[in-house]
Amino acid sequence: MKRIGSFFLYLSLAIVAVFQIFPIIWLFLFSLKDNREIFSGSPFALPSQFRWENYTKVWEGGIGVYFWNSVWITGLAILLTVLFASMATFAITRMKWKLSKLVLGLFMVGLMIPIHSSIIPLFNMFLNINLIDSPWSIVITYTAYNLPITIMILLGFYYTLPREIEEAAIIDGCSVPQMFFRIILPMTIPVMSTTVIINMIYNWNEFVFVNTFISSDKYKTLTVGIQNFIGQYMTDWGAIGATLIISVLPILIAFIFFSNKVVEGMSSSAVKG
Amino acid sequence: MRKKKAITLLFTLVATIFVIVGCSGTDSENVSSNSGDTKTIKFMHLWPEGSSKTHHTIVNEIIANFEKENEGVKVELEVLSNEQYKDKLKVLSTSNELPDVGMTWAAGFLTPYVEGNKFAPLDDLLENELNDSFVAGTAEAYAIDGKTYGLPLELNIATIFYNKAIFAEYGLEAPKTYDEFKHIITTLNDNGVAPIALGNKDRWTGSLWYMYLADRIGGTDVLTSAINRSGTFEDPALVSAAEEVQNLVDMNAFVKGFNGLADEEAKSMFMSEQAAMYLIGSWDLPNFTTNEEVPQEFRDSIGFFNFPTVDGKGDLNSHVGGPGVGLFVSEDSDVKEEAKKFVSYFVKEWGEKSVTQAGVIPATKLDADSLELPQMYVDVLNELSNATNITLFADVQMSPQVAEVHLNMIQAIFGKEVAPDEFAKEHENALAAE
Amino acid sequence: MSNKWLIALFVLPALLLTAILIFIPLALSGYYGLMDWDGIGAMKFIGLENYMNALQDGKFWDSAWHSFLLAIFSTLSLLLYLVIALILSSKIKGADLLRKIYLIPMLLSSVAIAQLWIKIYNPTNGMLNQILMAIGVEHPPAWLADTALVLYAIFVPILWQYAGFYILIYYAALKNIPESIIEAARIDGASPVQIALKIKLPLIMSVVKVTIVLAVVGSLKYFDLIYVMTGGGPNGASEVMASYMYKLAFSSNNFGYGSAIGFVLLIITLVVTFIVRKLTATKEEIQY
Repeated sequence: MKRIGSFFLYLSLAIVAVFQIFPIIWLFLFSLKDNREIFSGSPFALPSQFRWENYTKVWEGGIGVYFWNSVWITGLAILLTVLFASMATFAITRMKWKLSKLVLGLFMVGLMIPIHSSIIPLFNMFLNINLIDSPWSIVITYTAYNLPITIMILLGFYYTLPREIEEAAIIDGCSVPQMFFRIILPMTIPVMSTTVIINMIYNWNEFVFVNTFISSDKYKTLTVGIQNFIGQYMTDWGAIGATLIISVLPILIAFIFFSNKVVEGMSSSAVKG
Repeated sequence: MRKKKAITLLFTLVATIFVIVGCSGTDSENVSSNSGDTKTIKFMHLWPEGSSKTHHTIVNEIIANFEKENEGVKVELEVLSNEQYKDKLKVLSTSNELPDVGMTWAAGFLTPYVEGNKFAPLDDLLENELNDSFVAGTAEAYAIDGKTYGLPLELNIATIFYNKAIFAEYGLEAPKTYDEFKHIITTLNDNGVAPIALGNKDRWTGSLWYMYLADRIGGTDVLTSAINRSGTFEDPALVSAAEEVQNLVDMNAFVKGFNGLADEEAKSMFMSEQAAMYLIGSWDLPNFTTNEEVPQEFRDSIGFFNFPTVDGKGDLNSHVGGPGVGLFVSEDSDVKEEAKKFVSYFVKEWGEKSVTQAGVIPATKLDADSLELPQMYVDVLNELSNATNITLFADVQMSPQVAEVHLNMIQAIFGKEVAPDEFAKEHENALAAE
Repeated sequence: MSNKWLIALFVLPALLLTAILIFIPLALSGYYGLMDWDGIGAMKFIGLENYMNALQDGKFWDSAWHSFLLAIFSTLSLLLYLVIALILSSKIKGADLLRKIYLIPMLLSSVAIAQLWIKIYNPTNGMLNQILMAIGVEHPPAWLADTALVLYAIFVPILWQYAGFYILIYYAALKNIPESIIEAARIDGASPVQIALKIKLPLIMSVVKVTIVLAVVGSLKYFDLIYVMTGGGPNGASEVMASYMYKLAFSSNNFGYGSAIGFVLLIITLVVTFIVRKLTATKEEIQY
């Protein structure tokens, strides 16, 4: 009985896994096809001819620059978001002050703004402070727009942190900032890794802000490289597929790295504290 | 507690609004990078290298030549894909930051920009160096109250492309009348071949069908006069054109699920011989003639015919089409003179290069005899010169707001969710509300 | 350093960024909503007219209804994600690999996901209909062209796309539970199912509540996939609030009205979130 149960359990888990893994396989096949095959054939048919030239075409399109912009803008924004969000969450959950609920409410409202409502006012603001066509406008926008969701995710975890550890630290003569950096942050590595992954996915794939705030080629990011193949009368889907494959690789690697951090979990980090 | 929080929140919001209202409205000075004596023209276009390589290359060539001939003038480029281009232009215009030169569409798209005083009139160019260089009717599509605000780069007509091989297999010929056309549809359906590829998710594609039916049933002016309010959209011809659309749908004339398909998908069905006919603008000509990525055999099997007459009514030489994108010069540009010069230079150079290198039919007059063009181009150019009328794409003619209603209604009429008279009524209401 | 300063030091970086980059634009869009403005020419103040129109705009409420359906659907699907995360956390073989695989769709941009599903749903060549025809369905529906089905057809890829996101959050929360508690229960003879329901679930309840809010808010302002897959069509059958707002502002040149709709969207989201939190609040847990 038990064996049958676990067989079905594994079977259903495996089916879900198949469903979840096929976009990558599909995308890879897609990237080797031409438009006709992409639209008329089955998504999982092998390409009649492996069009590796889609990849060379993409490389020659100069996505190298876009790539590095994506890397540093994404990285810096993640760093700022997770740090600021952790600090704010810490203050909201671990310190006693009157306005904490209001501030939390404000962050929650920040979660709710539809991006197309904010884009024109933001453009205007950046224009006035001369940040249009500067990568900094992108970095701070990403940071700000990911803060609410990051805080929300951190929140649940901060509530579960045992207070005894803090008390012990204070008794040991730690200042609050010291405690935060030396004890709290290491303890929240699993959830921080979760938020890093989420931030990374959002920043890496974002294009509305980049498209609006950046006009020079030298500051554009990878998602713009994808746009390069969408045309007025024709769209080169094979090349888009190739760009997507190239752009998903680094994020896949980073994901696996941080994903392992999620598992390392409390047990190990609590000891360090 | 909750209440208090909500009130504080509201208060903060209101306070912020006041602060912002108080300090907005100060137009930021247009700081341009015209240091010393080099002048920079900002130019935005929508032909990215990836998808429109030939267009992109020609633009770069023209810019290089222009810079060479004009010491001290530099052209700074920003290239965006179509959707992104439209969105960004919108954002830029809200902040009064339009590029010095950019691309616009005719009529309905252009009007708000002209009314908002954003585009500069270009009549002096048309009267002087560009005098008589445009095909009649093309530059006019960019004119509002007698002034022209855009110079067109392309001219397209929509025709029905068909697969001659499939037609031959079932003993069919290009139709002249609607009855013959219907016969083709029935024959193809009987033989399990999808007659017409249509991607009506994009909506303007279905609009082409409707427009042609309206033109054939009600004459060349009926739609245009309904739109410019000299007529009405409840004209019987416009209603029966909508009925005819539904008749075609009932006959299974269009591929399955057309309302959920993008034009791109429909096109590839046609190009992979899964459908026999496809109504599209002449911008797709390269796919049926010169595009090496399309198998030669397929390209050879494609022909086109004009939309047939309906019940003996209509003129085969009346077309749906018009100029595509055109160039505008920003009214607030700091380098307006240079920008105008660039635009005029661009139009001239474009005319010669675009047709030979990119397979674009330019809006400027062509000396077709001196060029070596594929036969299908020659045929389309002939159609153009024999054209008795070209009705501008309805969604381009209309204001953006009405166009949105029109496009939604097109999807609804094809999907049989509205009756033809409601279809007309909705249009009439939207147009009357203008 | 006094406590007040300390709190400011910790909160202000995040708060200032949010205030300047989110709240000011938000206020401005509410303000634009008071204008008759095409985004190009001059603005004209018309008071609350846009907001009044929004309240009577049948199309807007249709789109709001679609957004609500999506919110309900997304919230229900959390249950599925939670079950998967609970299974994965119960020390089964291969859990680590499976968890990574489950997140893969989330890594891709919406453009790619939309294209994949457009192809799966293609009425003639698509995988789904090919399978249906192979098992004997003679006339499988044209999923994205059928006004009665399109909305549900779009929910599926959204469910699929977000699986990894929520599983990741739940999994991290479950891993956060000290091993000793679970060990103690096991020694007491609790079955894995009992451990999951009686011990793990209550301990991550605060995280579950957060995810409910995230799912509801995310759904109410959802845009990406729907816009690419159907553009809100056919005939508005898959229009959601955000896509309706975008079309008004950017395609119909009705920027004032679009901004007003955006603001109403926000208020609806606020109200719904408030209700959701009331509903999920337990006595001892009023913290957020």
